[in-house]
Amino acid sequence: MLRRIADSLFWAARYLERAEWRARLVSVNHNLLIEGPAPAGNPWSSMLAISGDQELFEQHYEDVDERSVLTFFVLDERNPSSIRSCIDAARANARSLRHRISSELWLELNTLHLDAKQWTVARLGTSEVFDFFSQLQERFYRIAGVMNGTLPRGVGFDFLGLGILLERAENVTRLLDIKYHYLLPRVEDVGGPIDLLQWTAVLRSASALEAYRMKYGNLIRTESVVEMLLFDSTFPRSARYCVDRLETALRRVAQAAPEPAPGAVELASDGLAGLLASRSASEVISSGLHDFLIDVQEECERISSAVFDQYLRFE
Amino acid sequence: MSAQSMTNPVPVFDAYRVVSGLFDEMFDLERRPRPGCARVVADLLARDPGRLAELRARADGMFLRMGVTFNVYGMEEGSEKIFPFDPIPRVIDAATWAHLEAGLTQRVRALNAFIQDVYGAGEILKDGVVPRDLVLGCPQYLRAAVGLTPPHGTFVTVAGIDLVRGADGRFYVLEDNVRTPSGVSYVIQNRVVMTRLLPDLVRASGVRSVENYPADLLESLCELAPGGKSRPKVALLTPGIYNSAFFEHVFLSHQMGIELVEGHDLVCVDHKVFMKTVHGLEQIDVLYRRIDDDFLDPVVFRSDSILGVAGITAAIRAGNVSVANGFGTGIADDKAIFAYTPAIVRYYLNEEPLLPIVETHVLSDPDVRRMVLRDLDRFVVKPTNASGGYGVIIGPKATYRQLIEAREGIERDPSHFIAQPVVQLSVHPTLLGEGGGADIYAPRHVDLRPFVLLGKRPRVLPGGLTRVALREGSLIVNSSQGGGSKDTWVLER
Repeated sequence: MLRRIADSLFWAARYLERAEWRARLVSVNHNLLIEGPAPAGNPWSSMLAISGDQELFEQHYEDVDERSVLTFFVLDERNPSSIRSCIDAARANARSLRHRISSELWLELNTLHLDAKQWTVARLGTSEVFDFFSQLQERFYRIAGVMNGTLPRGVGFDFLGLGILLERAENVTRLLDIKYHYLLPRVEDVGGPIDLLQWTAVLRSASALEAYRMKYGNLIRTESVVEMLLFDSTFPRSARYCVDRLETALRRVAQAAPEPAPGAVELASDGLAGLLASRSASEVISSGLHDFLIDVQEECERISSAVFDQYLRFE
Repeated sequence: MSAQSMTNPVPVFDAYRVVSGLFDEMFDLERRPRPGCARVVADLLARDPGRLAELRARADGMFLRMGVTFNVYGMEEGSEKIFPFDPIPRVIDAATWAHLEAGLTQRVRALNAFIQDVYGAGEILKDGVVPRDLVLGCPQYLRAAVGLTPPHGTFVTVAGIDLVRGADGRFYVLEDNVRTPSGVSYVIQNRVVMTRLLPDLVRASGVRSVENYPADLLESLCELAPGGKSRPKVALLTPGIYNSAFFEHVFLSHQMGIELVEGHDLVCVDHKVFMKTVHGLEQIDVLYRRIDDDFLDPVVFRSDSILGVAGITAAIRAGNVSVANGFGTGIADDKAIFAYTPAIVRYYLNEEPLLPIVETHVLSDPDVRRMVLRDLDRFVVKPTNASGGYGVIIGPKATYRQLIEAREGIERDPSHFIAQPVVQLSVHPTLLGEGGGADIYAPRHVDLRPFVLLGKRPRVLPGGLTRVALREGSLIVNSSQGGGSKDTWVLER
């Protein structure tokens, strides 16, 4: 596996996963606005604030409203993290490694890219946007299905997996962060109907609501949600699940070397695994969920740069 | 299909004019389908109005989704275009193809022998069959190739020979491409699309398959492995995603299951070539390179090249890696040396050439030059050092100013140009569009680029790339100049 190709696989997967999470985050916010009572303050401002792209937004838009924020997050090519930009970046990476992926996977990616070029603001109108996001989600599932159904489980598949899992672990922490620190800033609302509604939406945006109910029943509790999304070892979008898979993938990559040796990468992933194994949901909530989420994100970044140093760096 | 419809002019075809003085590939002058064409005419051209336009639209969609595209130089980065596709296939009957196949094999064997000789003993130069000055002064002549002895003496692993059909219905060689010929991926993809669009017609016609080409190419490449290594590591070297043929590089490496590498993926150590993998360096035995000689080795050739691999020349000379096509093959497709190719065939094979070439005038000869300059507007003038149709002046279509400039260019540096008579390229019914719900088609000029592989034995891909000049009257079929392509059907019998 060429370093350049491994790098492109890793980034193609990351951008694709990022596009999917962007879609999940934007659509959950949108759903909350439709279903719930009017929240305090401008909910689109909170979205912007947590995205870290507020400055860029203000350069190009005057009003912070549904239409402008949706356009910015979904369509705007001037925003490198818009869904369209992420899809383009994923496809650009895939284009240089088309010979290493199945033609079915290329076809899905290329078709999504071509469709994304045709997206217009009209698709994001209040009555269309629900269909837009659910159709988009289907595309992401289809791509995941094609990946699983057509790619041999070699080093290349593991580099795709590393990209997906790192991005997914980071994004699930962001999702929790939005809910915990931005959507509900007033302490007196905790445990109230808005709070419940929002937690339900968070679970739904991670496709975790049904799995949650099977495990914890109908009662939505903050602690259980945090447990589900961070510490559950069976749910495919929890941080813990991602880290377990990440370790397996890293081990397989290391073992594929002609002379296998415990590398820096495995040590780096130990840090994240340890972090998640040593704590419980109630502990991290009482000691500060936000700080814990930041710690997880930083560990993900460390693994990412260790992977780069070990396998992808081009000398 | 009744016997009647096989022979009679087809009614729906009333608007189609068979032009006298041009060879129509599908109809004779009485508008009867030529051998092998009757079924296509009946099933495709004499059918529901608007059907062809619909087929083309579906084909375009497939090409775009599959990413079967090429990049146009001089446009913004990443501008990928689909190669315009014409849904009316070009049919070659079995007898005609048998003749072409023999002629192509003969030609490529002779060209390979010529290259071997020029960089080896130089017999043909000593015997004065090709002027020594012309060969040694040719910009494609590479000193670095002198004395090279690739496995089996194979310099030309892949050749694309451009053929045109004259008004007399005979095929002529217009030019040879023995450096990095491209287009074969379109041959294969055109068939994939046609088979999806018209499965019944393809099957009923008995069309010879083209899908074996990548496997044949891989076998030919493996045969080049240094020391006859049994499972050699083969890679395709591409200039990268902005190259106009990048899709083809991806396609072929994917089909062959080999690595697609760029120059910076490779490194030479101890006169060996390695690629940089996630687990360290891995040696490469055979490199199918799709970059020109000039860019291959910044140590020996262009020092500004970032596409190549520093030190690869030494690795080749040490016999540690083979490249295909070999070094210096450009000497055999030089446009001036082209005039001598019939003599080259006779010299090495002691056979008469089966395929004539388009008459070619070397302008360094003062008498020939005078003759050509007197009637410049009747000739096609080509610079000897360009390809892709760039710099070609077609006398009868040129403006007065272009002719003056061509004359000045020739007088300044006559060895830089050749002149050929204007060949009235054959024409083929080609879809132009839709009008009033019906397909509009008209004759358009076509050529043919078959592909020949030279391994231990030669293999010819049945068919080749039929390029079509979509603009009325245009003789230039290159994709870079607004040409399109057709699926080419060689019939089994």
